[in-house]
Amino acid sequence: MDLFLQNIVNALQWGSFYALIALGYSMVYSILMLFNFAHGDIFMVGAYIGFGIATALLGFAAMIGLPLPGWLILILTILFSMFFTSFVGMLIERIGYRPLREAPRASAAITGLMIGIILETGNLALLGARRLSFPALIESATYQFGGIFVTNKKILIVLVSLSLMYVLHLFIQKSKWGMAMRAMSFDFQAVPLMGVSINKIAPLTFAIGSALAAAAGILYGLAYPVLDPYMGVLLGWKAFVAAILGGRGSILGAALAGFLLGFIEIFVAWIFPSTLRDIIAYSIILLILTFRPHGFFGQAHSTQLRL
Amino acid sequence: MALLRIDKMTHYFGGLRAVSDYNLVLEPGHIVGLIGPNGAGKTTIFNLITGIHTPTEGNVELEGHNLIGHHPHEIAGKGLGRTFQNLLLWRHMDVLEHVKMACYSQLEYGLLGAFFGTGRCHREEKRITAKAMHLLETFNVAEYSDQLVSSLPYGAQRRVEMARAMAINPKVLLLDEPTAGMTPDELNRMISIIRQVHKDFEVAILLIEHRLKFVMELCEKIQTLVFGEVIAEGTPEEIQSNPEVIEAYLGKEDVT
Amino acid sequence: METKQETPQRAYKNLLARYKAFSNRIPLLGWLCGGIGAVLIEYFLGDLVSYYLGLPKVPVLFGCLIMLKKPILIPGAVGYLLLVYGLPVFFIARALATPANKLAAFLAKGPITIAALVHLGLLYAILHIWTDMSDYRVLVLKLTMIAVMLTLSLNVINGYMGEFSCSHPGFMAIGAYTTSTITLWLFANDKLFGEALLPAAIGPFFFPLALIAGGLVAALGALVIAIPSFRTRGDYLAIISLAFLFIVKSIIENLEFVGGPRGMSSQPNYSNLPMVFIVMVLCIWIINNFVRSTLGKALCAVRDNELAAESMTVNTRKTKMVTFMFGAFWAGVAGGLFAHVLRYVNPGSFGIQRLAEILAMLYFGGLNSVTGSIVGAVSINLLSEALRPLEIFKWIIIPLLLILVMLYRPTGLIAFTEFKPKELMRSKE
Repeated sequence: MDLFLQNIVNALQWGSFYALIALGYSMVYSILMLFNFAHGDIFMVGAYIGFGIATALLGFAAMIGLPLPGWLILILTILFSMFFTSFVGMLIERIGYRPLREAPRASAAITGLMIGIILETGNLALLGARRLSFPALIESATYQFGGIFVTNKKILIVLVSLSLMYVLHLFIQKSKWGMAMRAMSFDFQAVPLMGVSINKIAPLTFAIGSALAAAAGILYGLAYPVLDPYMGVLLGWKAFVAAILGGRGSILGAALAGFLLGFIEIFVAWIFPSTLRDIIAYSIILLILTFRPHGFFGQAHSTQLRL
Repeated sequence: MALLRIDKMTHYFGGLRAVSDYNLVLEPGHIVGLIGPNGAGKTTIFNLITGIHTPTEGNVELEGHNLIGHHPHEIAGKGLGRTFQNLLLWRHMDVLEHVKMACYSQLEYGLLGAFFGTGRCHREEKRITAKAMHLLETFNVAEYSDQLVSSLPYGAQRRVEMARAMAINPKVLLLDEPTAGMTPDELNRMISIIRQVHKDFEVAILLIEHRLKFVMELCEKIQTLVFGEVIAEGTPEEIQSNPEVIEAYLGKEDVT
Repeated sequence: METKQETPQRAYKNLLARYKAFSNRIPLLGWLCGGIGAVLIEYFLGDLVSYYLGLPKVPVLFGCLIMLKKPILIPGAVGYLLLVYGLPVFFIARALATPANKLAAFLAKGPITIAALVHLGLLYAILHIWTDMSDYRVLVLKLTMIAVMLTLSLNVINGYMGEFSCSHPGFMAIGAYTTSTITLWLFANDKLFGEALLPAAIGPFFFPLALIAGGLVAALGALVIAIPSFRTRGDYLAIISLAFLFIVKSIIENLEFVGGPRGMSSQPNYSNLPMVFIVMVLCIWIINNFVRSTLGKALCAVRDNELAAESMTVNTRKTKMVTFMFGAFWAGVAGGLFAHVLRYVNPGSFGIQRLAEILAMLYFGGLNSVTGSIVGAVSINLLSEALRPLEIFKWIIIPLLLILVMLYRPTGLIAFTEFKPKELMRSKE
């Protein structure tokens, strides 16, 4: 039982990463009807930007002799890197996706993949192959509830992710821009006629998605402090799977499916030998998609890749 | 014996009854028209006959063979050719390929033949090419044979679709609004083409149409469909004078 | 003012027109003869030419490696290319244009098989002499030919049928492991399977059967994707195929008897140049026959409008199943060859990276086009070899190039064309 609860905590943590990244995929999909395959690498870039900002802030604090508390640095790091990474997202939209809006979707997918490779390689070229280790901004502490151990980082990760998702929810439901985004996801063609330009909505979507990915990157860096340029590849693909599982373009679905994927992976690894994790986890996903071909929250309309 | 016999065909979409108790007896060589306002369920009837949807209840028989539960390609292969209201063409294929594609089930070579390009495969391809060219000439679109369909004028696209439907050697041809979006000129041409096809290929035709002139001129029998139900059935004259039809449908339009 | 601006353009146009007038008369046969001349010159005089041009040795890959490593040698390398490849190819091809045309016309009268065999024989001769100079060339050429097979087979699924399949490395892995298991078990003394069961001498003759077995097992694996494809299209199918790729990789990692994560090594050296060449030619020939037949055109019909295809008697389920299995078969065969070229495979060689590579080759070359796939695979593969001295920067240049192609030609360089061998081989007079 204790082990079960322990695994729930772990699954919530992993699920947070997946959910935050999957949201980015899903948001872009709901607006542009295509997946941004560079998104996993935006997560990586976010983590690196976070690393840079955290290091700079620590250095700055040391220089002026002001002992800034770790949590303040962490908050500043998260905010600043979300801000800067959103520009990376907008840049990618401008260069890679806007010119291809009318093109076949597969071409945009390829462009996204290639931008991802460029981001990875560019990082490798800039910073070299050595792995950076993310600064430990907050003291690790472990609390014990009954038989389960929870670190403060895990709590922090889950709380920060959930609150970010809540903010996103508020933004989409309440703000003018959020309303425009919702309208756009209903009808790609009609909304521009109503005076909302897709050229504003699309970058905004990319910016928000990238900001969330950056937050995920920093949280990931807190939990697993080793950064490397390819860290976003596998995580990104898995979050992509989650986005599909949730139903294309469904924001709520993406978040839930992110957590679901976390649960599947953690519990499969708990019950079965851990080397079998991928086989079983993906077989489950394959079965889900075979029998529920439109994910959990997606509309049941069949589209195909435009050629 | 009736060529196409439909008994008490009923279909629900979710809880909505789209077609109820539809009956049809189509004799060989006859032309039957299906008229009715938008959303009356005319295209749904076509989709039910061709197996795209399976009717909730009822029976569809072609020459005494039951069609219910078969895949659309099997039903088509038994001799049901159709066209679509909004032109379903293959945009990366040329006109000749369209018509050849409809000969798919008549090909007498298998996958291995296609892989290794056997003599039989070449002979078969030649045979269906000749057949397709002949059809293209019949429908007056042979000049476009090597062009992509999207580059064709609208009327020609319609005729390509009909040529394609004829390539499956249909016994019954289902035409879904063959004149939609056509100019009066093209309309008259279409009437003569349908007459000619009807005569040359000895095919029975069931057609959905909005333009009454067209239906009255071509059909021996007309059914009027409103909200999924046939409210009147008879010869063009009977339909024209039926008060229910006039109220439900004709009243809104200029009959002449 | 205006005339000045136009001059370079006009000069370029003139040059192009002249080049066309010069080369239009030369049939493929002539170019192949020119190629043979060039590689023969390199074979006998390569050392001499490179010595006089100040090159340390014969440039192994069209001088690209030398040029990028030591820019000072660029003039020498360019001179070498001109002297050894450019000029001989042109002049021999031009000089032999008339007899080559006559021969081509003569061959065109006979069955196409014979004409094709003559051309392929010449092509093989060129490749054989060219690769005789160094082992590196042999390796690059073999991998390029395998890449052609992979790209072409993916084109059948992604291009002709229009499904975005991500599972190609998985099929390749299945083929590679099946073939390797057969050959290691039967013909090699190794640590995984122990003593050879059959004499090693018959191995090379048995190898094609092992390749076919690998392809068939991969085709069986494709059923996992083909069956969901009856109900699902597009993104969801892409994910199913991606999940399949992860599953295959993970299963292989967990199978101890094929070496688990460490992989399999010391496969016998059966993938020699003629073997790979013949298999590739067969692959191109069969796929091209298929996609040009009406049965193969059904793939395009299913892609462009499935409902219309089904209503026009096309058995769409069978078509989808055949397509996935057919594509997977060739990916499996290519995987088998790949394993025996490198003589080492591990699950890591069949991951996302490989997928990105194959997709890049496919979309660079062009969808729905056999020529496109060949061009894409050869150019991306050679480019990635040629840019090797740039180390990781090549992984910035190649993606950038691909993005440019996508921006200006979203379906690839040579998309939606038919590959017609008869046209290609015809006489130009």
